[in-house]
Amino acid sequence: MTSSGPMSPSGPTFSSGSTFSSGSTSPSEQAGRVSTAGPGTQLEDILPLSPLQQGLYFHAVFDEAAPDVYTAQLMLDLEGPLDADRLRSAVARLLERHPNLRASFRQRVGGEPVQLVHRRVEVPWREISGGDPDAVAAQERARRFDLARPPLLRVALVRTGPARTRLIFTNHHILLDGWSTPLLAAELLALYTGAEPPSAPPYRDYLAWLVRQDRAAAADAWKHALRGLGGPTLVAPDPAGRPPAEPGRVRAHLSEDLTGRLTAVLRSRSLTLNTAVQGAWALLLALLTGRDDVVSGCTVSGRPAELPGVERMIGLFINTLPVRVRLRPEETLSGLLTRIQAEQAELLPHHHLGLAEIQRLHGSGPLFDTMTVLENYPLDASAAEVGGGLRLLGAGGSDATHYPLALAVVPGRRLSLRLDHQPDVFSRAAALAVLNRLSRLLKIVAADPDLPLSRLDLLSAEERALVGAEVIPVQTGSYRDIPDMTAALPGRGTGVATGAPAESATIVSAFADQVERTPDAEAVAGDGVSLTYAELNGRANRLAHRLIELGVGPETPVAVLLERSTEVITTTLAIAKAGGTYVPVHHGYPPDRMSWVMADTGAPVLVTDREPGFAHAAAVVRTDSPAVPGAGGEVRYVPEYDPNVKIHSDQLVYVIYTSGSTGTPKGVAVRHRDVLALAADHRWTGRHRRVLMHSPHAFDASTYEIWVPLLTGGTVVVAPSGELDPVTLARLIAEHRLTALFITTALFNLVAEEAPGTFGALAEVLTGGEAASPAAMRRVRDACPDTVLGHVYGPTEATTYATYHAVEAVPENGAAPPIGRAMDGMRAHVLDRFLRPVPPGAIGELYLSGVGLARGYLGRPGLTAERFTACPYGAGERMYRTGDLARWTGDGELEYVGRADFQVKIRGFRIELGEIEAVLSRHPSVAQVSVAVHDNRLVAYVVPAGPGAGTAPAEEVRDSAATAPDELRAFAGETLPEYMVPQVIIGLDALPLTPNGKVDRAALPKPDVSASGRPPRTPEEERLCRLFAEVLGLDRVGADDGFFDLGGDSIAVIQLVSRARREGLEISPREVFAGQTVEALVRGGSSGREVLLPLRAASAASPSPPLFCVHPGAGLGWPYSGLLRHLGPEQPVYAFQARVLSEPDYTAPSIEAMARDYLAWLRRVQPRGPYRLAGWSMGGLIAHAMAVELRERGEEVALLAILDAYPRPVRRSTPDEQEVLSELLAAVGYRGPAEIDDIVAFVRAQGGRYATLDEPTLLAVYRNYRNGVKISQEYEPRVFDGDVLFVTAAHGREADSPTAADWKPYVTGMIEDRSVACDHESMLNPGPAAEIAALLGTALRRREP
Amino acid sequence: MTNPFENPDGTYLALINDEGQYSLWPAWAEVPAGWTVAFGEDTRQACLEHIEANWTDMRPKSLIQAMGE
Repeated sequence: MTSSGPMSPSGPTFSSGSTFSSGSTSPSEQAGRVSTAGPGTQLEDILPLSPLQQGLYFHAVFDEAAPDVYTAQLMLDLEGPLDADRLRSAVARLLERHPNLRASFRQRVGGEPVQLVHRRVEVPWREISGGDPDAVAAQERARRFDLARPPLLRVALVRTGPARTRLIFTNHHILLDGWSTPLLAAELLALYTGAEPPSAPPYRDYLAWLVRQDRAAAADAWKHALRGLGGPTLVAPDPAGRPPAEPGRVRAHLSEDLTGRLTAVLRSRSLTLNTAVQGAWALLLALLTGRDDVVSGCTVSGRPAELPGVERMIGLFINTLPVRVRLRPEETLSGLLTRIQAEQAELLPHHHLGLAEIQRLHGSGPLFDTMTVLENYPLDASAAEVGGGLRLLGAGGSDATHYPLALAVVPGRRLSLRLDHQPDVFSRAAALAVLNRLSRLLKIVAADPDLPLSRLDLLSAEERALVGAEVIPVQTGSYRDIPDMTAALPGRGTGVATGAPAESATIVSAFADQVERTPDAEAVAGDGVSLTYAELNGRANRLAHRLIELGVGPETPVAVLLERSTEVITTTLAIAKAGGTYVPVHHGYPPDRMSWVMADTGAPVLVTDREPGFAHAAAVVRTDSPAVPGAGGEVRYVPEYDPNVKIHSDQLVYVIYTSGSTGTPKGVAVRHRDVLALAADHRWTGRHRRVLMHSPHAFDASTYEIWVPLLTGGTVVVAPSGELDPVTLARLIAEHRLTALFITTALFNLVAEEAPGTFGALAEVLTGGEAASPAAMRRVRDACPDTVLGHVYGPTEATTYATYHAVEAVPENGAAPPIGRAMDGMRAHVLDRFLRPVPPGAIGELYLSGVGLARGYLGRPGLTAERFTACPYGAGERMYRTGDLARWTGDGELEYVGRADFQVKIRGFRIELGEIEAVLSRHPSVAQVSVAVHDNRLVAYVVPAGPGAGTAPAEEVRDSAATAPDELRAFAGETLPEYMVPQVIIGLDALPLTPNGKVDRAALPKPDVSASGRPPRTPEEERLCRLFAEVLGLDRVGADDGFFDLGGDSIAVIQLVSRARREGLEISPREVFAGQTVEALVRGGSSGREVLLPLRAASAASPSPPLFCVHPGAGLGWPYSGLLRHLGPEQPVYAFQARVLSEPDYTAPSIEAMARDYLAWLRRVQPRGPYRLAGWSMGGLIAHAMAVELRERGEEVALLAILDAYPRPVRRSTPDEQEVLSELLAAVGYRGPAEIDDIVAFVRAQGGRYATLDEPTLLAVYRNYRNGVKISQEYEPRVFDGDVLFVTAAHGREADSPTAADWKPYVTGMIEDRSVACDHESMLNPGPAAEIAALLGTALRRREP
Repeated sequence: MTNPFENPDGTYLALINDEGQYSLWPAWAEVPAGWTVAFGEDTRQACLEHIEANWTDMRPKSLIQAMGE
């Protein structure tokens, strides 16, 4: 391209963009370059594009189907005789004088665009008589220019009257800018009159000037100007994906007086109007986007002063450049403007750099999507004499941008503001609101330039009223926030009755009032228990007396660890009555966290229903031991009367722990008055009579569930323990005639999907906690039109609910319903970073004040002072800083937007990602960690530590990380509750960073959750794999993929169980938790080979102690699963299996050895007796041996059931393989030939739990059987001290068959002999198993403690 | 959005109200009615340390009096 050749006739040109962009080449070098356009061609010149031309070219080719918004128009209204031909010649002459108006634009093969200057072009020309000029203008504008076909301009002449003409000059913006149009108009009219104005320098002189600029210096200047910028300032959702639309336009004018004052103020401080516009726009953007470091675009004239004659040039010189404004709350308005002006002056010499290049330098995409321009065009084209009797009446134009908001400010006696808006982003009303606020801002600049930014009032009076930003007048000497909350409670409070201020009411006094009013009303229902107010009062009083004896007094913390039951209510009330503060702990906490909470509160007493299982120094009160031991151990009398402890309404009633960002949980300390305020809200009246309690006690929804009904005379209905699923929920609603309940977002969505009509019988369903699903809400509204759907929001710090919205119609546009208005006595404030209220529509941070604000964080004064801050809207009051982003709707309701920090909600639990990060970073193998949420899964990104971490080959680093996940998860699980342990841990060489040096969370890789497990082998596995995949939203799931590893949570478990149930598959949530894989579920929630097989595992909630069944000769425990259905869902059952299943080389030495082995396992499940044992066949012998051993150790054996097993079985030597197998397989329903291959094929085809009986297992089973026969014969039973339930298999017996009576020498008690009509091998087949289960069931109940 | 209470480089005050409750407060913002400056202006950390050291009983004053009766 730089080879010598004939010079272009029109002088030096630039051959390509790449040469053009190569830096500071001198003009003489440029002059030596050649043009590819020779004298013989149609082309006069080939020029590169200026930076803005490149930008416009990109926009024009980006979407060729959409209207090109960069079509500009100049309109001249002329009066007098007009010679159209002369005008047409003038246009042609204009193009002769300005070669750049003859340009077309194309891409070179290399991709870079060039402008081709054509020698001759024909200007499209239309003449219309009597048409509507506006319609013609619109037509002219609507026709898209093809940038490759010159000229990129057209003229229409509309005769609007006898002597009136409108000239419509339409061009593509890429040819000329707004500053050029008045020049163009003037020159055109001059040419029309025959004059020849002095010629201007050609456009390529400007392009040559561009080449001479110091690009490196400019790059440095722009890099410096944008350093540390956190992100772009965007007012529209996706700047790239939105097709441009014809913009709307709104206008405003400042009065002449105001314009004058503004000009004077600016002049007195040496500030330009452009600076004022940029500053005001930045303040507006901060408000619109919630940012304090904002960027907008500003169009600069781009005409370099050092280019002679530049002011007369026609072409595209302007540039749109980023204006970055950092807002500092301590600064004044004029301080801000002065700083902006200085910062911009620094950049003035660098205005020639293109926007694309600047954004590339900054290393980001688009920096802004709004822009401003000051239209100080050089010519006033209004009312001028053209000549020849022709007069210019006026000029107008149309010029547009693709930006969602573009502001043009036109100076004049009255400052004119014009705002172009993309109507899909900003409606006309919204655009007008922006423009009005801008006018208000400029007015403030004129009136009070020294106002600190933090006191700048951007709200109109109406907006101020809407967002409730009025300051409550000072009330001397009072910080009180609840003047009389109990007035709203039925019958008013004790305090009121005695004439003392109602403020003294507590939940204890309010409850006492209720007991007095309705002693016989039902206060609590559930567990088959129903308590009246009087009964509950009595029980709570008894426990309160015990607590007082243990030293519980005013504000004494008392830890509560209880399975959900009526005891929770009694205990909670009792602690309050004793003056204490209840501290509910979650049974899902690991022991370390339990101990930590105990230590943090210093609770001297723990009320629980189990062995605590964690370290603590507290006195334990067991709710499961009904008797209260006195000094001598005997039961003694505890009074039932009210302990009458003096309690103040400001005293703490409970402390609930939530996740803390610095690595330790924080205890939210809530006062009596806060709970009273919640209960007194008018919204509960009438509908919240029978309320379901199902939330964990340690979750603040329990405050609503317990205290709203109890303090308003309603009933708390306690759900059974375990996860609530839609079927159980429906049953509870019907059985207990529930009127209201709260349900977490996730469970609500599940019910809405599975059975939206479930809530139909309720007066109200409350939901909230996480971002609501509009679709789920719509389904419920449609299915339950008579049920109020309450959308609630609130942090624990504001006592459960802070705002409420009754969902009526759910908008179809997918927007979530608002979170509504503040609860009674509470106030919501949406403030910007200057602590100023934001107007409706703008995003700010939500603060709450008024009633229900907790005292703070227990024992954390610093943290409390950070979050419970002074409130500017009520004297001496505090407000809680929620960290939630919100905005006001035009109706004065709040909409939830997101979090300002890294707090997340998972399964309704509030989690600080920082706490998880803090815990993980304590692991020695972790150098850096970042935790994020993907698809409701916690994902930890870990950079491994170690001497070579920074320098080791990447693979090694990855390897070390790859080995860590399980260990890291286990490590996290030692201190974090299960719901805070990341499901996925990903090793990274380094964390991605933003240009700002912070972790770039958006750039963290998404975890690959595609399942990789083995394909299903049986129809049952296939069905479950499909269900897993459906529930988890995955394409496929392998049989050995863990449900929770793939992102399953407790809600997904319930979803899985209910879907499986619909397909006739009975699995319980507990089995899913225990088994986790399809494989394990099919086998019954375990590997199937363990010594102690939990057929139905016990939980703390199981009302009955487990039944332990011992395997028969084959060694398998599975056959006992046939008992499960008939024993009922509450009966835990475990089966012992021969060790040979898990250790193939193992051979049991004796029955006694097996018994002792199994006893060790047994004690892990049930440390103390009384025990319940059963054994079939050889299992009968082992169970007997175990029972003997237990009794000898002094344990109680409540049941020993022996199923057709006899002491000292007499058999011929050892059975052969075939015989053993057929006997074994009879038990599993196999009746075919006893060839091992056939058997394996059979069990495979059977599917189900026997599918894993592969050949090695069968051989192990065989070996066990043979050995079993041997050791059974060697077994010399000892004497069992107790009764025996014996079951005889009645069929297949012979005269000399042994009988139950054979056990007499080995049993001291009674032998109850029952018989079942089956043979020995079939005892656990479905029919006989049902009979046996009935016998066992009766015996188990009889022996219930 | 940087919250005005979360600027590690900002200057702050420790405010106190009639009930002896403390609040961290950005130094540039007007002190709300009913509150007085107990400490500062100083760094955020220094203000928090002052609060940790001085707000030893987090019960409001009126409650301390009532419970002490």
